[in-house]
Amino acid sequence: MSWTAVAKKDFRDAVQSRALWALLAVFVVLSVVLSYSYAEFPTLVGGTEQATVGGLVFFTSGIVSLFVSLTAIVVCYKAIAGERELGSIKLMLALPHSRLDVFVGKLVGRTGVLSLALAVGLVVGLGVGSALLGSFEPVPLVLFLFVTLLFAVVYVTIVVSISATTGSTSRATTGALGFFLLFELLWDVVPLGVVYVANGLSLPAQMPDWTFPLMQLPPSSAYVLSLNALLPDLADAAPGGATAAGFDAFYARPELGFVVLAFWLVVPLAVGSYRFANADL
Amino acid sequence: MAAIELDGLTKHYGDVVAVDGLDLTVEEGEIFGFLGPNGAGKSTTIDILLDFVRPTGGSAAVLGHDAQRESMAVRRRIGVLPDAYHVYDRLTGRQHMEFVVDSKDVEADVEAILERVRVLEAADRKAGGYSKGMRQRLVLAMALVGDPDLLILDEPSTGLDPNGARQMRDIIRAENDRGTTVFFSSHIMEQVEAICDRVAIINRGRLVAVDSIEGLRDATETTTTLTVTVSGVDDDVVATIRAHEDVTSASLAGDQLAVTLGPDGSKFGVLQAIDAAGATVEDFSLDESSLEDLFVEYTTPGQAAEPGESQTQAVDPTAADPTATDSTGGDR
Repeated sequence: MSWTAVAKKDFRDAVQSRALWALLAVFVVLSVVLSYSYAEFPTLVGGTEQATVGGLVFFTSGIVSLFVSLTAIVVCYKAIAGERELGSIKLMLALPHSRLDVFVGKLVGRTGVLSLALAVGLVVGLGVGSALLGSFEPVPLVLFLFVTLLFAVVYVTIVVSISATTGSTSRATTGALGFFLLFELLWDVVPLGVVYVANGLSLPAQMPDWTFPLMQLPPSSAYVLSLNALLPDLADAAPGGATAAGFDAFYARPELGFVVLAFWLVVPLAVGSYRFANADL
Repeated sequence: MAAIELDGLTKHYGDVVAVDGLDLTVEEGEIFGFLGPNGAGKSTTIDILLDFVRPTGGSAAVLGHDAQRESMAVRRRIGVLPDAYHVYDRLTGRQHMEFVVDSKDVEADVEAILERVRVLEAADRKAGGYSKGMRQRLVLAMALVGDPDLLILDEPSTGLDPNGARQMRDIIRAENDRGTTVFFSSHIMEQVEAICDRVAIINRGRLVAVDSIEGLRDATETTTTLTVTVSGVDDDVVATIRAHEDVTSASLAGDQLAVTLGPDGSKFGVLQAIDAAGATVEDFSLDESSLEDLFVEYTTPGQAAEPGESQTQAVDPTAADPTATDSTGGDR
């Protein structure tokens, strides 16, 4: 149980990051502006007649996923690589902690920091939105918070694991930004490219069904898909919630989102903790 | 049971040999100095004891536990002041101590320990603003939490002024009196000489000598040189002195007679002999090679390390041979 000591120390340390609170300030402003514009002009920005809390949730999920991914990178990329580069990890590992304790403690501590910032941002943003809509629906909000927290845990795990594979912060930065670039910005091109090659260097009129799960591989896509799974009624009614596949197959169900999130939880954890446990510091 | 037992310990980084077949036993209750120049493999050896680094050959045991397989058991019972560490800039001194108390799951009077190392008045300031000496004292305080059975201190005087270094020695002695074994590394003979029961000298990853301070001192006395300013000396007098039982060599240059003495040779006896041979001793000076000289001799490439008829266990004379191992890498 010694990871609790690491998590406590790490939370105290990382919560003082100035970059974290700067990002949070931007997020709070953005989410208030978005909530306001959705509540006041649902037709214009949301494309629906009736503004609802569910619509608001899906409307904000895009900015939330961007905030979570960027903040996770800022808060976590140095989690282990930074301590190795500076040498503070020697103080920690001279104490009776296994490498796995340190890894888990880091995950818990940094998740705590990110969740705190996220909670502040969401309470303000969604609070303003609910107030403006004049309605409060606890069930979708709680489900939204649950999926968002899961998404935050997944992103922290990914970035801490990248950080655990190296003793150099510049390599950790490259790894984390590379991950973000590939999976969050460029990923749309990847299924397209695969289809292009598979189809004999030309594009078919319609994308084949099997590209759907491939499209859901980025954590943020899986996050939105998971929201769809838990809030299907709202997703149908809301703009931006329309990621449903439009055909029936076991791999096209929205629950796939949770499978993908689980994948991003387990695989980085396994690779990161293995690499860290076997490294010479 | 030995506090530390190294058996053929070896660590390669690619082609670079940092530690090369080290055999060493540190007994419980001693203050043991681990001496060598920068890059000799001291920190790598300590890193292996703490399982920061895994050996490529041989084994290390600390307090009867294998340093790799049973590292947690080892680290529960030791206190460590590592080399090239960094404190958590955003945490206060007190929060550092709380982290150690939580980690070791022990009861400790944090204030009393901070007082002892003289950082109590800065306990609630962030450690990032501490001076180098204060950080060193804070980390020493962290090492003292939970009354460890063994203290491992890597270059403990780094960043300390002479006063701080003396306080560090006092704390080391006090802990040792309490029954704690102390293992500390240094590249400065003087610090080791002042406090250690026994010393190991390593160079280029190999053990060069292990002995008590007295043993090392005996070894150095073989090279005592007496320079006597004389008048009335001719070749017969020089020959007479050369034949004296305590003298290993004598030579005359102008009015300077240089006499090298054997082990336990009486300097006074030689001066009397010069006088008795009919010459006049006007002045004399002594050049007793210090432990520092011995250390330099052992660890400088190109100079043969032949400590003569000493009791010191000269482990491997080839260790001083510059062709033996080409590079030992940095102080890892």
